[in-house]
Amino acid sequence: MAAEVKTFKGGIHPAYNKELSAGKAIKAIPVPKEVVIHLQQHIGAPCEPKVGVGDRVELGQLIGDAEAFVSAPVHASVAGTVKEIAEVTNFTGAKVSSVTITADESQPEFARKPGKDLESLSDEDIRDIAREAGLVGMGGAAFPTQVKISPPKDKPVDTVIINGCECEPYLTCDHRYMLERTDDMISGAKLLKKAVGANRVIIGIESNKMDAVDALRSKVASEPDISVEVLDVKYPEGAEKMLIFALTGRKVPPGKLPSEVGCLVQNVGTAIALFEAASWGKPLYERVVTVTGPGVREPSNLLVPIGTPVSDLIDACGGFVGNPVKLVMGGPMTGWAQADASAPVVKGTSGLVVLTSDIVDLGEEAECVRCGKCIDACPMFLSPNYIVTAVKRGQWDQAEMWGALDCFECGCCTYDCPAYIPHIDYVRKAKEKIAALKKE
Amino acid sequence: MALNNLVVTAPPHLRSKEQTAVAMRDVLVALAPITVAALVAFTYNALFVIAVSVASAMAWEWIARKVRGKKSTLEDGSAVVTGLLLALLLPPQIHWFHIIVATFVAIVVAKELMGGLGRNIFNPALFGFVFILFFSGVLTTFTGNLGLLAGGYDGVMGATPLVFLKQGLEGSAAAPSYIALFFANYGGAISEVGSFWILLGGAYLIYRKVIGWVIPVTILGTVFILAYILGSDGLYMILAGGVMLGAFFMATDWVTSPMTWQGQLIFGLLIGVLIVVIRLYGGTAGAVAFAILIGNAFVPLLDKLFKPKRFGEVAAA
Repeated sequence: MAAEVKTFKGGIHPAYNKELSAGKAIKAIPVPKEVVIHLQQHIGAPCEPKVGVGDRVELGQLIGDAEAFVSAPVHASVAGTVKEIAEVTNFTGAKVSSVTITADESQPEFARKPGKDLESLSDEDIRDIAREAGLVGMGGAAFPTQVKISPPKDKPVDTVIINGCECEPYLTCDHRYMLERTDDMISGAKLLKKAVGANRVIIGIESNKMDAVDALRSKVASEPDISVEVLDVKYPEGAEKMLIFALTGRKVPPGKLPSEVGCLVQNVGTAIALFEAASWGKPLYERVVTVTGPGVREPSNLLVPIGTPVSDLIDACGGFVGNPVKLVMGGPMTGWAQADASAPVVKGTSGLVVLTSDIVDLGEEAECVRCGKCIDACPMFLSPNYIVTAVKRGQWDQAEMWGALDCFECGCCTYDCPAYIPHIDYVRKAKEKIAALKKE
Repeated sequence: MALNNLVVTAPPHLRSKEQTAVAMRDVLVALAPITVAALVAFTYNALFVIAVSVASAMAWEWIARKVRGKKSTLEDGSAVVTGLLLALLLPPQIHWFHIIVATFVAIVVAKELMGGLGRNIFNPALFGFVFILFFSGVLTTFTGNLGLLAGGYDGVMGATPLVFLKQGLEGSAAAPSYIALFFANYGGAISEVGSFWILLGGAYLIYRKVIGWVIPVTILGTVFILAYILGSDGLYMILAGGVMLGAFFMATDWVTSPMTWQGQLIFGLLIGVLIVVIRLYGGTAGAVAFAILIGNAFVPLLDKLFKPKRFGEVAAA
């Protein structure tokens, strides 16, 4: 086995603080009284509700679907009664149509379909299963899985990469998934490989999770086309383009998808969800969320029904401690700060991180001092400071020239900026404006 | 639930300890050894120059920001750094009025009129220094031997090491030795009291990641090698005068140096070549200052030429 530790150029080394929850086994949260399931929790078209107010719904029942190719259906995460279908503010602050379900007092176990023979499934079957189960990328971006595993015919995919980096500080849900669901994850990875017709699977894991590396390696020792590779502990190692480069040496060109270089990247949670869907007929209606941070009494990895309000997650972890000033849905580098604890968990919610006043440093934005640290940190080799200057001047063509559209908003620039410049604010402005200008 | 204090901002929600003010504090710490050495060598003369320079630099900045109706930026510490660096470039005996004019040119003209910290093209301290070098007679007052250690090593009166270098007499008995250049007061500006102390500070800045190694190493390497090629003493050349201070503290100024390593390499080469050429074929005083200021002028061009190549921009493998 290669002792080599793979990585990419650029990036940062924040404090990881994963020890808060890394050792905590996944446990199910008490059934919430009520869940709010957004009809759009993915990139693509929103779903139409398939139930009406007052309807009884069973656990895992389809409650929203869409005709569009780029979309994913949503399912009931509890058995209960539809209380309301209305617009609700989601974790990004946007209003989305949502189904509120009042949960029954006693909840049934999910009734697994009799074991399906995974070997006999065709690539078409696997895509259909992914679609029916409402699978989306569970690493955060929530791109419909079925679309991702339908690469264009002229771009054959030879490599499936399972992303077990979990490079975001604090988060440990993928780590727990790999430790506790090792076999299921490997089965899911094989299904992904079959779906795209790849000839190998590479599982990439950062070297701070060697227990997961060992667990997986012992299971795939007899599988010549599955390898487990150790990656440097560096943020954003798990970013799609960085990960592909670190593991295969291939570079996805600007504006292109991984299929351009024959790769498919999927998060460990997604692989497990695909296994559950194919083997048990279970749709994606629950997921593991790491609830952690210095502002949480008992950091935990919770199995949570989609639609559970984050306040329930905090309660399940003993409430707040200290002076919480930021409640972040997702990881602390790319997640969304919440104004309150009301937003419901979505399929892409990997964590809920509570940061306290002693950790959050809200400096005042100052003038760029041209130190070049943002350029050194940028894993895409962009010039974040020039993008900011261009946006300030309203020079949108310049902003694009400096790479605004290639930025995937990892936040390394801002992390290292001595002048507290919120680059991502500016980049988002640039993306919005450039897209609007292109439409004209 | 104690949730009244929730703050909503764009990500990331974590940040490093990087702060402009902290970097400036690091620079001050890095300048401590050479400052102490200067105080030992030139006692109250050095103290006077440093005090007037730092105080007036801060005052000019405060006034300039006030007049422009902008928020005070004194707390970022850059004015203190400019004042101290400028003082270290000056001779130990200089009229207070000259110092105040120099800090005015540095802070008001070279920095604030250019748009303030971050937008200035030229290193403010060097700009102020060169101005006063041109427009006053301070050139004649560079001298050694005013302090406690006067004559302690190979201290010389009158001629500075740079004069020996220019005349090709650096090997003569009258010229200070390498050891003297490294540790002692040998004559020249306030900072010319031993390049070791500057090296110490420079190493600290690299260790603290305030500066990178590319610029100082390229400058020192270029000067060292080119001096030998041109028949001079390369080691002498980098130990004497302001090369060390320039390489570690002036040319590395964030604002006025290129941002990519390729640009920094060319920038260092350019400055190194200019230092040697000016020293050997031009005037002795201010060679480093001129070289860096000329280098500063090339920075916008270098940043344009050496843009980082976007990830995956070349054809995919």
